[in-house]
Amino acid sequence: MSDIESAIGKSPPRLEAAEKAAGQALFSGDMVLPGMLHGALLTSPYAHARILSYDASAALAHPGVKAVVTAEDITGGAIGPLVRDEYALARGKTRYIGEPVAAVAAESEAIARLAARLVEVEYEELPAVATIAEAMAEGAPLLHEDFADYFKIYPAPENGGNLMTRGEAVMGRGTDGFDEADIVVEGVYEVGAQYHAYMEPVSVLAAFAPDGRVTVWSSTQSIFRVQANLHEGLGIPMTKIRCVAARVGGGFGGKAEVSGELVAVMLARKAAAPVRLVLSRDEDMTSMRARHPGTLRVKTGAKADGTLVAREVELWFDAGAYADDSPAVLSVSLQYARGPYNIPHVHVLGHAVYTNKLRFGAFRGFGNPQASFAGESQIDELAEKLGIDPIELRIKNAIKAGDRWLGGQTITSSALGDALRAVRAASDWTRPRAAPAGCKRGLGVSAVAHTCAFLSAGAIVRLQGDGTVIVNTGAVDIGQGSDTALSQMCAAALGLDIEQVSFATPDTDSAPYNYGTVASRVTYTVGHAVHEAAMAVRAQLFDHAAAMLECAPERLELRPGGRVGVSGEPARNAEVSFADIAGRSLYAVGGPITGSGSFMTSDPLDPEHTKTSGLLDLGVLSVRSFGAQAVEVEVDEATGAVRVVEAWCAHDAGRAVNPGAIESQIHGAFTQGMGYALTEELLWEDCRLVNPSFMDYKFPGAMEAPERINAIVLETPEVSHPLGVKGVAEQPLVAAAPAINNAVSAATGLRLKRIPLTPERVLNALLAKG
Amino acid sequence: MDFYQPTSLDAALALLAADPEALPLAGGATLVAMMNADLVEPSALVSLRDVAELQTIEAAADGGFRIGAMISHAALADEARLGGGNEVVRQAAARIAHPQVRNIGTLGGAVAHGDPSSDLPAALVAADAAIEIAGPAARRVVAAENFFEDYLTTALKPGEMVSAITLPVQPEGAVGHYEKFARVHGGYATLSVAVVLAMAGGECSHVRVALGAAGATPVRVDAAEARLLGSVLDADAVRDAAAILAEASDPIDDVRGSAEYRLMLVPRLLGRALAAAEGGA
Ligand SMILES: Cc1cc2nc3c(=O)[nH]c(=O)nc-3n(C[C@H](O)[C@H](O)[C@H](O)COP(=O)(O)OP(=O)(O)OC[C@H]3O[C@@H](n4cnc5c(N)ncnc54)[C@H](O)[C@@H]3O)c2cc1C
Repeated sequence: MSDIESAIGKSPPRLEAAEKAAGQALFSGDMVLPGMLHGALLTSPYAHARILSYDASAALAHPGVKAVVTAEDITGGAIGPLVRDEYALARGKTRYIGEPVAAVAAESEAIARLAARLVEVEYEELPAVATIAEAMAEGAPLLHEDFADYFKIYPAPENGGNLMTRGEAVMGRGTDGFDEADIVVEGVYEVGAQYHAYMEPVSVLAAFAPDGRVTVWSSTQSIFRVQANLHEGLGIPMTKIRCVAARVGGGFGGKAEVSGELVAVMLARKAAAPVRLVLSRDEDMTSMRARHPGTLRVKTGAKADGTLVAREVELWFDAGAYADDSPAVLSVSLQYARGPYNIPHVHVLGHAVYTNKLRFGAFRGFGNPQASFAGESQIDELAEKLGIDPIELRIKNAIKAGDRWLGGQTITSSALGDALRAVRAASDWTRPRAAPAGCKRGLGVSAVAHTCAFLSAGAIVRLQGDGTVIVNTGAVDIGQGSDTALSQMCAAALGLDIEQVSFATPDTDSAPYNYGTVASRVTYTVGHAVHEAAMAVRAQLFDHAAAMLECAPERLELRPGGRVGVSGEPARNAEVSFADIAGRSLYAVGGPITGSGSFMTSDPLDPEHTKTSGLLDLGVLSVRSFGAQAVEVEVDEATGAVRVVEAWCAHDAGRAVNPGAIESQIHGAFTQGMGYALTEELLWEDCRLVNPSFMDYKFPGAMEAPERINAIVLETPEVSHPLGVKGVAEQPLVAAAPAINNAVSAATGLRLKRIPLTPERVLNALLAKG
Repeated sequence: MDFYQPTSLDAALALLAADPEALPLAGGATLVAMMNADLVEPSALVSLRDVAELQTIEAAADGGFRIGAMISHAALADEARLGGGNEVVRQAAARIAHPQVRNIGTLGGAVAHGDPSSDLPAALVAADAAIEIAGPAARRVVAAENFFEDYLTTALKPGEMVSAITLPVQPEGAVGHYEKFARVHGGYATLSVAVVLAMAGGECSHVRVALGAAGATPVRVDAAEARLLGSVLDADAVRDAAAILAEASDPIDDVRGSAEYRLMLVPRLLGRALAAAEGGA
């Protein structure tokens, strides 16, 4: 198959790199239509309040105002991917400060913002719950009195008050397995709330055509989730909804579900004009989503020789005011709470709880960062107690191909041992590090696994008249480079140069269904469909070529640049170009050449292997990719500040479609994980978010990133994929915080159990230790 | 809202005198952000961009400097003539935010805003700087130490403007150092220490210390400096001086750090700042 390898394994410039570098890329917020109005939100000043009445008269009387919408304008039902518990705008009650309550469309953004504040809403304030403990207290005020009646797609607790999800999984003898352990460590770990901080805040443009169809351009990770939400939330038939992704300035999970789209459509409908809604940064931070904060009690037992025998995890996630992706995040978190090790006896139990705070939802890692911070920190504690090198302990217990994951799925390929050995060698693991005066240095490690096959995807590849092809998947490139990688995969199957492939703009009018740009799934899952579609085109090309060259199709081969020739006969007269074939198909025989591919992840769990309750069905999530990271940190003993000096990140891409893109994924994800570990934390005073700005919420910038984040790309072909690829978008984030925490331990002897490791927390711990 | 762009200081002052709700606009880094957040609603903005007399750095005959209010942080950070003790001001300017903010933010704007978490106020106090104030009726000069009166409150009276900052000749051999601790590069300080230090024969012959983000105004205490003066900057002297400064500090709890943590940083950063200055002295 050497002919198909050409376009894979190379790092051509991103298809959209030049336009982005030149500032020409068109994001939703840049788009303008004739007669376009601007939208603005009115958000709830109360954490929990009953909405008694609206009075929009003052806002409507303001010059330039064209429409005001509230929950009274909602024409559909409740929305939510797993529990239908929210509406396009707060309906009946508001449940967090910053929740959109009303919206205004006006001739300018300034007028819209001003008029939004003229909408009068009468509230009756209700008692609110700010924390898990408050939410779970006896007699706590309920966020969702009608929770039992909501539509849900998972077994939810009954009469649980504010408890949205309670999931549990037991493997082997569960907690009884600790009787096989010689050494047991136990601890409680705390994780903070991280904001996605995508560069482009939520933005959307909605316009109705005269025939009543609405087109929505938005900054989203999934045009099909937007379409589904518009359908469910506003009752508009899908025949009347067209969703298009403009360029997207980052998502990281924050735009996996619908954001401003429903409101913009309601405004456009009522104002009978196109409406653009672009959130300000503080609106985005107060009204949108973040990573679940929570606590995890973790217990791990091992034999004296380092064999892991049992693990128990009890986890509590603050889920915020609406479920959003919480039940799924919880399920995935529990699925990763055992860690990438062969631990025979496991009991994991998790809870997600409604509180009067913003929604905690999908975020790069999807529950795994929390579980891995706790679990991987604890592996190091165990290593210390056992007197075994932490990398050695991990290698000893590393999961391998053929082993089974928590839940019972079989691991198809694992490079975990290789990844650990790679970072050990590259980091010169055992070499002592010299530190400047007043500082201490140390190295830490973390192993990681994460998924890359998830739900369904389709692809359509069409041969164009000049012999080039266009591939259409509906997958949105949110900055990670999937347009380029999928084009490369398509080109490879047809022996084309990447310039001979065009990538269709994601558009629900023309694209096959695709779940979304989440779960590191695009290269693996969508790539599957692209390959299948391209191979279908290839088969048709060969049929035509066989007729044109008068030989059997089996004798044909692809030749670079879009030609089919007879094997062993290099002469020009023994080959035809794709353009010739296209001409034949379009004007003489057979009709247009189109190939389609369709893929669904299906890897059912095994209830004999792991007993579960209250979890989502995770059989639609499969194929794990493994990695390891080593990090060197410097701890300033005077201030407690932690600086990452260097990082070594080894991740298995199965087969690297675009090594340059993988390297940049590793750089970006590691740095985002560094922020999670060290500086990023949304903070609340009661239910009020206190730092919704980039002045007060600090993520690492170029100056914080270590000079070298060494990306080590491993290639252990994944047997379940035709090209052997895997995804690596999340692992470098997941493994950052535990590796940094373990490095801080190595440097200082501290065992910290709460992230972010702010200088203040580190200094206090240093002083307490003495 | 009206917008004016006068070309002389007198014209600017006249515009401000005519409308008590008008505000001077310097770089706008802070003012425009505050307007966007609805924290201020001026009736008019008087841009100082074209007022030439605010745009110069002059070396005085005695070796000091007079720096116009509209000099940007970037220009100040690049001013090679600010050496010796006055280096503390140059370093503070260089540690403000990022290049974008340093290119637009101005010395006069930073001083007039009077934010105790900002970098220049403490540095100016440590450098014994003076603030030149231009008012509708008269000009006056106020020592930096007396200029900052409270949180976001300065000695400026309605209608008055900062026209320049003057830096004195620093003692022979003095070295300035600005030690800033922030959560990330370019962040506002959790705590900062501005030091001007001269050593003679191994002993401290001149010292000024001012803390930033330690209270509503820069914190400077005579007794702390007296404790250091004449010492060899031994650990006891530094610890005592830091204790005096911490005692006079009244920091806030916020996202950048708790009050308690800021107080813990006082001796730690003071030691570091003095050591750095001594290393250069
Ligand atoms: C993202 C960001 C990060 C920042 N980080 C830091 C930091 O790390 N450290 C730091 O020290 N600062 C920081 N700043 C503040 C920055 O230094 C500002 O430039 C400065 O505080 C104000 O200067 P300006 O020229 O922009 O003033 P403006 O914003 O124009 O004005 C500020 C105030 O001063 C008044 N004013 C301006 N000039 C005069 C004058 N000559 N006389 C009287 N009143 C006047 C205005 O009316 C207004 O009330 C930051 C600002 C931003 C936007």
